[in-house]
Amino acid sequence: MAELQGLGAQLSEAEKAGVEIVAISPDPNEQSQKVAEGLRLGYRFLSDGDLAVARRYGLIHSRGGPDGQDVPRPATVVLDRDGLVRWISVSHNFQVRPDPGDVLRAVRAL
Amino acid sequence: MAGRCRPWHNQRVSSSTRLTVLSPLVAIAAVAAYVLLFRVALVRNHPEAYVVAFAVATALAVLALVGARHRRWPAWIALAFSGLLLIGGAWFNFVAARVPDTPTALRVGERPPDFTLPDASGRPVTLADYRGRKPVVLVFYRGYW
Repeated sequence: MAELQGLGAQLSEAEKAGVEIVAISPDPNEQSQKVAEGLRLGYRFLSDGDLAVARRYGLIHSRGGPDGQDVPRPATVVLDRDGLVRWISVSHNFQVRPDPGDVLRAVRAL
Repeated sequence: MAGRCRPWHNQRVSSSTRLTVLSPLVAIAAVAAYVLLFRVALVRNHPEAYVVAFAVATALAVLALVGARHRRWPAWIALAFSGLLLIGGAWFNFVAARVPDTPTALRVGERPPDFTLPDASGRPVTLADYRGRKPVVLVFYRGYW
């Protein structure tokens, strides 16, 4: 939950910049929806239940979950209007997230 | 003479007692600050700070124990409390929370792999559909828990 609140802080600034923020996790859809509504998050939650997309992107923290299961490696990627990667932040410690200000700067620099 | 027989009376608060109280307060304040200020990027992104605070609390408890003249058990409890937090906190931050640096499929200037995933209402969303429309920030996160 705290993690999503961190994302929420990111949103409030980045939303103003007029971008689509797409949050991807292995959560089931209903749960994400509930969280999104509870926190009034405007961005889109996509459910990557089997981690297929995280795996394709090379963003897997192998056996990093609380029960020893694979989990996504926290990462933030800024794509420009043409769909090209402009900025990447990949976590080396799952407690650490990119500074919302850095994400916003990357978006503004597009 | 009478004062020595009754250590609870007329005895000024020793520096050891003060350190014994201060040690767990520093440790608890560190936990509270981290939890309450988790949304602040500066706090969230420096988790090693709570490990440092636990180390300070442990050092204070050691000083309290060294300086204790009569009752030593409160200082021992303070040391056990802060010491366990230090060990647990250091293990969590430097071992458990560490994510191995494995290669990703992302390169600046390149197009990432396309995908289609269901959104919260079950509608399929395709990354390529945003192309030519608006910039996208992809946030991969661990999940609800």
